[in-house]
Amino acid sequence: METKLLTQHVGDPQQHTMERAIEHGAYQAWQKVLKEIAPADLIQIVKDSGLRGRGGAGFPTGLKWSFVPKDSLKSKYLCCNADESEPGTCKDRVLLEGDPHAVVEGMMIASYAIGCHTAFFYIRGEYDIGQVRMSKAIADAYAKGFLGKNILGSGYDLDIVVHRGGGAYICGEETALLSSLEGDKGLARLKPPFPAVEGLYRCPTIINNVETLANLPHIVVKGAQWFASLGTEKSKGTRIFSVSGHVKNPGNYELELGYSLRDLVYGLAGGILDDRPLKAIIPGGSSTPVLLPDKIDTKLDFESVAAAGSMLGSGAVIVMHEETCIVWVAEILAHFYMHESCGKCTPCRQGTGWIYEILRRIEAGYGKMEDIDTLLDIADNIEGNTICPLGDAAVVPVISTIKLFRDEYVYHIEHGKCKVHSQFKLRTK
Amino acid sequence: MSDFNITVNGRQVPVIKGQTVLQASLAAGIDIPVFCWHPQLVPVGACRICLVEIEKLPKLQVACATIASEGMIVHTDSPKTIKVRQGVLEFILAHHPLDCPTCDKGGECDLQNLTFKYGLDYSRQHEPKHRVIVDANSTFDDLQIGPEIIRNQNRCIHCYRCTRIVDEIAFEDDLGAYQRSYHTEILPPPGREIRNLYSGNIVEYCPVGALTNDDWRYKVRVWLTKQTSVICPHCPDGCNMKLWNFHNKLFRATSRANENIDNGFICDIGRYGYQYVASPDRIKRPMVRRSGELVETSWEEALSLIRKQTDDIKSKLSGSGFFGFIGDIRTNEEIYAFQRLLRRVIGSNNIDHRFHRRRRLTPGEEVSSRGIESDNAEFKDIENADVIVVLGSDLHSENPITSLRVKRAVKRHNAKVILLNPLPTPLGKRAATLEVIYKQGTAAVLLHGLIDAVVDLERFDPSAIKLSAAEISDFRKANAAYAGVRGSEITGVDVTLVARVAEILAAAQNVFILAGSYVERDPLRDSLHLAVANLQSFCKSARKIFLPPDSNSVGAAFFGAEPTVLPGRQSWGKKAIYEDLWHGPIPDAPGKDTIGILEAIDEDEIECGLVFNADPVRLFPDGEYVRSVMEKLKLLVVIDSFMTDTARLADVILPLSTFAEIEGTRVNWEKRMQYSQRAIPPLHESKPGCEIIELLADRLGVKFNQSKPSDVYQEMARFFPTGAPTTYAAIGRDGFLIRSAETNKPGKLAYLRFVAPAIDTEYRFILLVGNADHHRGTLTERNEILMKFTGEPFVGISEADATDLAVSDGDLVKVESKYGRVVGKAMILRDFPSKRVLLPENFGEMSTNILMGRQDKIDMIKLAKM
Amino acid sequence: MILSDSAKLQISQTAKRYPKVRSAILPALHIAYEEHGYLSDQIYEEIAQILDLKLIEVAEAASFYTMFPKAKRGKYLIQVCRNISCALLGSHHLTAYLLDKLNVELGEITADGLFTVVEAECLGSCTTAPMMQVNAHYYENLTVEKVDRLIEEFRSQK
Ligand SMILES: Cc1cc2nc3c(=O)[nH]c(=O)nc-3n(C[C@H](O)[C@H](O)[C@H](O)COP(=O)(O)O)c2cc1C
Ligand code: SF4
Ligand code: FES
Repeated sequence: METKLLTQHVGDPQQHTMERAIEHGAYQAWQKVLKEIAPADLIQIVKDSGLRGRGGAGFPTGLKWSFVPKDSLKSKYLCCNADESEPGTCKDRVLLEGDPHAVVEGMMIASYAIGCHTAFFYIRGEYDIGQVRMSKAIADAYAKGFLGKNILGSGYDLDIVVHRGGGAYICGEETALLSSLEGDKGLARLKPPFPAVEGLYRCPTIINNVETLANLPHIVVKGAQWFASLGTEKSKGTRIFSVSGHVKNPGNYELELGYSLRDLVYGLAGGILDDRPLKAIIPGGSSTPVLLPDKIDTKLDFESVAAAGSMLGSGAVIVMHEETCIVWVAEILAHFYMHESCGKCTPCRQGTGWIYEILRRIEAGYGKMEDIDTLLDIADNIEGNTICPLGDAAVVPVISTIKLFRDEYVYHIEHGKCKVHSQFKLRTK
Repeated sequence: MSDFNITVNGRQVPVIKGQTVLQASLAAGIDIPVFCWHPQLVPVGACRICLVEIEKLPKLQVACATIASEGMIVHTDSPKTIKVRQGVLEFILAHHPLDCPTCDKGGECDLQNLTFKYGLDYSRQHEPKHRVIVDANSTFDDLQIGPEIIRNQNRCIHCYRCTRIVDEIAFEDDLGAYQRSYHTEILPPPGREIRNLYSGNIVEYCPVGALTNDDWRYKVRVWLTKQTSVICPHCPDGCNMKLWNFHNKLFRATSRANENIDNGFICDIGRYGYQYVASPDRIKRPMVRRSGELVETSWEEALSLIRKQTDDIKSKLSGSGFFGFIGDIRTNEEIYAFQRLLRRVIGSNNIDHRFHRRRRLTPGEEVSSRGIESDNAEFKDIENADVIVVLGSDLHSENPITSLRVKRAVKRHNAKVILLNPLPTPLGKRAATLEVIYKQGTAAVLLHGLIDAVVDLERFDPSAIKLSAAEISDFRKANAAYAGVRGSEITGVDVTLVARVAEILAAAQNVFILAGSYVERDPLRDSLHLAVANLQSFCKSARKIFLPPDSNSVGAAFFGAEPTVLPGRQSWGKKAIYEDLWHGPIPDAPGKDTIGILEAIDEDEIECGLVFNADPVRLFPDGEYVRSVMEKLKLLVVIDSFMTDTARLADVILPLSTFAEIEGTRVNWEKRMQYSQRAIPPLHESKPGCEIIELLADRLGVKFNQSKPSDVYQEMARFFPTGAPTTYAAIGRDGFLIRSAETNKPGKLAYLRFVAPAIDTEYRFILLVGNADHHRGTLTERNEILMKFTGEPFVGISEADATDLAVSDGDLVKVESKYGRVVGKAMILRDFPSKRVLLPENFGEMSTNILMGRQDKIDMIKLAKM
Repeated sequence: MILSDSAKLQISQTAKRYPKVRSAILPALHIAYEEHGYLSDQIYEEIAQILDLKLIEVAEAASFYTMFPKAKRGKYLIQVCRNISCALLGSHHLTAYLLDKLNVELGEITADGLFTVVEAECLGSCTTAPMMQVNAHYYENLTVEKVDRLIEEFRSQK
């Protein structure tokens, strides 16, 4: 069973309009915040709710906000991260297209909490409908007086600017996002200084994921206690999981944290395509380690997935059945990281390319046995040694597939070809 | 002076708060490899070669960007760090061509060196190397990205030092990094070249052979070369350079990184400027005039001829029938020996070095010498100022490295930069907070108007300055005619702009004033000098520097190349000291200065001149007059390296060695005396100045036995304050700052009397003389590489005037004054004020001095399309 | 001038929304791209001029992102997602099929000037794989039949 909190109304084709959204309760939280809640109390409420970031790392949201220096005279900025480009992930898109007002309202609440008067909505350039709907939602919010100067007589001013990316996965990484927003190439920056202290235009800046922000109106309206009652002990609330790959009913499913992976894959998603045996699952987007079928009973919360040897990441569950060649999968993902490395630091710029080239060679049938150890060693030389986590992410598929499917790599190298030889065809109808 | 210690490899390492782990370690002699880090650039932590282990931190950290904190325990040689270091080197080498044998960086390549030191000795790379192909028909992937710079992208290790130098240090925008991932490519912006004045630095600091330049490429291997330490002779900044030679041929100049001065960055003029040494135009042998023609001869014959002819003149006119000019680029030793030759051996005090193009002398004027009357101040003080005023100077081309300091002050702490100039200059767009353009000749009025505007401000705090209320109000009253709108009408500067400058000055804590060449050429120069002092008095704390015109103008002034002061700036009363020292008499009365000398020649009172590396015919105002006067001389001896306009009139020419062939000292604008080594032996039959002077002295009857500069230096050293180095060996990296007690103190307020110069309606354009891009003075045109940047003179005019005269870029135009005319190609300058013409002073084919009058206050010309 | 007056106006208007003009580079590139379908050095120059920025700032940024190509493309730019979720459902086959059907190489323009096919990294349509983006629009849950129909439609619209 889904727990539809954020996605309750996304099925309604008119939810993106102001009228329908208001009918469904939009902007009540915003009015309440402006009238009743002081910024410091708001931060406390979010801390109490136990909300953790939905962008990937799962950092407690209230705690992150509290890093913004209170006494700084500089402007403060909020950036909503809608760069969603992690392979397998399309859950933010559901909200942007299906319930943009919830995201706008979330941005308002977060801005108010940290004392921001200009917030940026950074959306990946390819998301066309999302961008149009969000822009419209923001324009409508201005028209209603929910944005602009002296909002609803509260004395609080807020502008939201929509900023379209130019096509670069790295711009989802927070420091690269800031570079990009400043008009520069999307190059990651050294931390410290952390964005909360020195971010956009060298001012304190908070970056939050779309889904994280969309939770805020609910927390404000229904209270921290209520929110904390959803989910597990340390993973509160719901999450939208994008289930893709070899399942009968791929789609986005909103689940209370702690839901079972088996129920998601075999229940909601209808089981494996053509009822073939399951081979592997990536539970949290391409940057998270692969799980074997024996982990199918893992609970979907931050801690349980970690205990199973992977990460909840962006909540993208990629399912592969037995005909999937794992070296091929690794090669596809390696190509992605090579293509998306910003190129600033050596290990990531050179290492991602090298990994891809070796995998491509193995896949093409020219692998050498020592390649396996070389791959692991290259991965070791990248991991932890790059400016931003893209390098760490890039080595995950390589390390985890070699770890779990070493024999498949060996077979590939020895036979110059694959045991399963996946050649997935486009369906005719 | 350290604040606390950290532990590096078990050693206690002192740290000054704010230092990075790398800085502290390097200072303690612990080596951590780097590629992208450079001491003058903001760390980016991109290359990752400097990753070190810091206890209690989960990941390795980049030493270059990690601020050291108390109690840190760092390991730079633990197994983990060594593995990463090898890994990073392996990554870099994965696609790096193995073309070390043909790469010009070989032998001084950071990648090569670090690979030897830390790298793996085997390769795991089986994939083909990436290659950026520039020309499919060539095996080389060289791409010319500027007049002088060649890029090989394959060798690039993406450290971004080059682009960061261009951006952070030079404030330029002609180099960038394009694309992403391993495709990232270093290039100028589309359709442009890298040709900024500091472009050579990127070659020097590229850690590999990705960027090279033409003078060095494919010519010599670095380990075969010899290096010597010299001081750049091209401007009074006095950058420290290394000259690299092989078999006595020079191949390049690089910086010698002196944080007192250049911080390791030199301009292209210095970097490529050594090339004039080997110019085919050098005067190779002595020459004498025979039946009207200059013909080569032997030293012996030339010297005998001089002896014979001087004897004749001396018997007729005594010493006062002689004069000497010496150029400001010669060493202190040569200058000192030359004035001694004139004073003691010939018996003439007619000596000057101020015949410079930018200079007009009113005989007997008060303000004596450019540069020497500056306050005690250093480069570092510019950096510490919060407001920098650049007055009458194209600082960018006249003092390129001073200009970098100004930018550094902007970069480091947002210093405000105010330009007050008769024309827009390159520094304006790059670093100026406000750029004020005044009408040439009205700068003194502008400064006084500015002072009035400062006093008018509410925030002006009279208690912060050392003037009494009465002094201030008297000054304001006397100045009323130059304040506000009335001043504005004279200067052409909007009152609101003046008010904005005043706001900045009134808020300033620490002002630095740099006055340059247009101050020296100002018709009210003496008043302007006083006006600068007045401005200083009204600032809370200010220093002023009068930038000297040439690399050793200050030395020339200090060591006696002026008619009215003796070496060490001693007054005439101290004459006996010198007579004692030189074992003989020197003439009683002070001598004549440049103008006086020229007039005396005209009156037949002077018949013989010794001109030492100077070209008054090309440089002194009213060139035609100077030529006609010099032609009247009975004997003109020119000691020079090139056939200058003056040398062409000579009766005897003695070939002179250039800066690279001599050792000696020079004094920059800070009054810092520095020592410059000899790089190569004298070329052809030329001789170093001191040797020539000793030969002449000997021939004319007095032996000093000081043909070596070091001997001369020992004698000169007597005029230094105590504690100064008395031998070359004792002159260290810091050089020696010549300091006099009475500077830094503004004197009494001086009042201004401004009379607008009468303007002939026929000549309606103001002539401004400046430098062409990549040129300075008259030596740079002897230089192949610099000529690649600007190869010919031009006539710079505004867009409005171009439209008026229907002139387009490159059209021939005629520039004519009452005294002469020149023709050149028009260059239309953007944002250039109308009714002004800018001519470069760097090209012999277009001498600008023939357009100037000797007596005129301001140079007016007319302009026509040919 | 290549950019139209309305594009120029739009660019300078957009710049006002940002605390610093440089931030307007990406929006400006989008506006220019939408108007022309490709970018050029001349366009960079014009953007730099409108925003009073350095040419290098515009050129560097434009070169980094995938959405501002300098090469001309067909009227319909077909981007096939090559990443994992689409690949598991036949996107490689889809690309091959399209190239074959349109008789064109990857990245090139069909003889009639209508189509260019390129591969793209994950476009955020993973649960509706396989997918392709044609100009600004997403076409999802693709099948051979659907692709055939779409191509027909594009052709008939010209
Ligand atoms: C390479 C990379 C790509 C990322 N992409 C995204 C993204 O598309 N969307 C997102 O919300 N977070 C992304 N993140 C995580 C962000 O850096 C950041 O942690 C997140 O936006 C914080 O929001 P949250 O605290 O609300 O999760 C990415 C991180 C990395 C390293
Ligand atoms: S060209 Fe040289 S200096 Fe520039 S990024 Fe490459 S290696 Fe570094
Ligand atoms: S020197 Fe520290 S990362 Fe390059």
